[in-house]
Amino acid sequence: MTQVVITANSLLEGDVVFWAAGGWVEALADAERFDDGRALDAALETAKRQVVAVIDPYAIDIVIEGGQPVPASYRERIRALGPSTHLEHGKQAVGGAGVEAIAAHAGAGVRSSGRLGLIRRK
Amino acid sequence: MYRYDAIDAAILADRAAEFRDQVSRRLSGELSEDQFKPLRLMNGLYLQLHAYMLRVAIPYGTLSADQLRRLALIARRFDKGFGHFTTRTNIQFNWIKLKDAPDILDSLAEVGLHAIQTSGNCIRNTTADPYAGATAEEIDDPRVWSEAIRQWSTLHPEFTYLPRKFKIAVTAAAKDRTAAKVHDIGLKLRRSRDGELGFEVMVGGGMGRTPYLGQTIREHLPARHLLSYLTAILRTYNRLGRRDNIYKARIKILVASLGAEAFGREVEAEWAELDHARIDLPDLELARIRADFNDLPFEALAPVSPALNAAKAADPSLARFVRNNVAAHKVAGYGIVNISLKTPGDVPGDCNADQMDAIAALADAYGFGEIRVTHAQNLVLPHVKLDDVAAVHAGLKEIGLATANIDLASDIIACPGLDFCALANARAIPIAQAIAARFADPVTAEAVGELKIKISGCINACGHHHVGHIGILGVDKKGEEFYQLTLGGSGAEDASLGDVLGPALSADRVAPSVDQLVDVYLRERSPGERFLDTYRRVGLTPFKAAVYAEAV
Repeated sequence: MTQVVITANSLLEGDVVFWAAGGWVEALADAERFDDGRALDAALETAKRQVVAVIDPYAIDIVIEGGQPVPASYRERIRALGPSTHLEHGKQAVGGAGVEAIAAHAGAGVRSSGRLGLIRRK
Repeated sequence: MYRYDAIDAAILADRAAEFRDQVSRRLSGELSEDQFKPLRLMNGLYLQLHAYMLRVAIPYGTLSADQLRRLALIARRFDKGFGHFTTRTNIQFNWIKLKDAPDILDSLAEVGLHAIQTSGNCIRNTTADPYAGATAEEIDDPRVWSEAIRQWSTLHPEFTYLPRKFKIAVTAAAKDRTAAKVHDIGLKLRRSRDGELGFEVMVGGGMGRTPYLGQTIREHLPARHLLSYLTAILRTYNRLGRRDNIYKARIKILVASLGAEAFGREVEAEWAELDHARIDLPDLELARIRADFNDLPFEALAPVSPALNAAKAADPSLARFVRNNVAAHKVAGYGIVNISLKTPGDVPGDCNADQMDAIAALADAYGFGEIRVTHAQNLVLPHVKLDDVAAVHAGLKEIGLATANIDLASDIIACPGLDFCALANARAIPIAQAIAARFADPVTAEAVGELKIKISGCINACGHHHVGHIGILGVDKKGEEFYQLTLGGSGAEDASLGDVLGPALSADRVAPSVDQLVDVYLRERSPGERFLDTYRRVGLTPFKAAVYAEAV
């Protein structure tokens, strides 16, 4: 089932962050998930007002794989993981079940043809 | 090399202090992101996918050893220990925090470095021949003129808000190592029949979504008039260039729509109105700049180094390195040493802090403390005694940078692509790595010979795919990464734009397809032909047949 989360980059550090309960968290796994358009709009509105915390909040589609959220687009998967060329950098360096789920399901071509292996890790 | 004077130092210190104030006002909420974004971009600070990216200018690709050591320090202290040299001969740091940016600018300013004009619709860093002052081929030293352009264009009030960004290249040799014909202005130093130094002025080149090769609007501009003529071109562009459509705002679109001849007439008319003496560089200042580039104490040496020849005979890897990475120097007994940042398996253009320090030490020990950055994302030690080449090679081996592949198939240009860049549609680096792996065996790479593969992760073409012998463009096809191949491009003196091979390929088909293209070349080539020559002779058909045979 497709759900939505809100993401942005933190102002001070530039890190990728996700919206959760009125604030920002580092891991997609901890992000608040929306499937109700009205609740999303309200949260996005609040998020956009936090102008000294983050830059340009926007909503992204996710799918749930093994209980963990995985971004639908590969651009957002790379944001949620880190560069595929430097596995020691970015959020993937921290590891954890959420990161493992994105990495394991990074190939699920949910947006279009369903072709697997879109993000092949080294 | 040129040393910044007190005015330059004051400008850099002021600018860093100004940015510190702007950052603190942004963090306090006094400035909104909309207000702050153009200010941070004017200081080279972009927001990318994972973090801020700082693009530091390396004026005309020339660095001192001290400056390179400072870049290493910044990589270590403020980034994740590495930097990425770009096709614009700049360096980018990928993991910068906004809170550190003012300290970084201060640190850069201490060694005469900065990030001014590395973004925005202004005159960007000038590209110059990385062999400047070292190759015997050159008519004059392009750094002298590039430095004049730097002084003239820095914070130029009239040219800070052009319709779009603006890039100038200066080359002085028959062999063009600057990609002059795909710059907004390409300047080629030449001498007229009576010996007068001048420039061939080419305008309107560029890549991006509508690529054009620059066209000559003046065969011979007397060199002393460079700055007034550039002013006339920029003024014409500022007046007539489009501001209503970002995709049609570059000067290439204006030149193409008016025609080079008509554009040239506009420039000449503008130039006739200008007070040349007020704008052109005074002879005294030119002489001062020139003197700073002519201060190297070369020794009188024999043209051949028996020590190097003996070392080559004993070590085939050194012999290969000299064959591929060392070019002839204008002074007998010296060589130009290219350092490849394209070790197969690594990221094209990346250099870690330890490597930067080691290269700076090699430059100090063996190369008058000078380093150049090339548009092919490699480095150059421009003045190394042939007697010292073996020691330099050994030093490079220790840091994993002795790959002997300059201009070979594994010397691939790649932009950061979707692994880092907010504009990218597809990744470029993993594609480069997959191709380089196939040519990692130096014997294979040498057997194929010169083959310039260039990869961009989006249509903006930072990876110069239009002018790759094999060009590769990443596209997004319904959310998937696909790659469009082009053949027959060149950014060198024989410049041309590549032809589309056929439908875009999936990521896993790109490297095997490059193999197929190379196989066709090896089958079809006549003696002495490069890949590009064979392609130009036989055309697209056999290459297309090889890659798309399965699909037919």
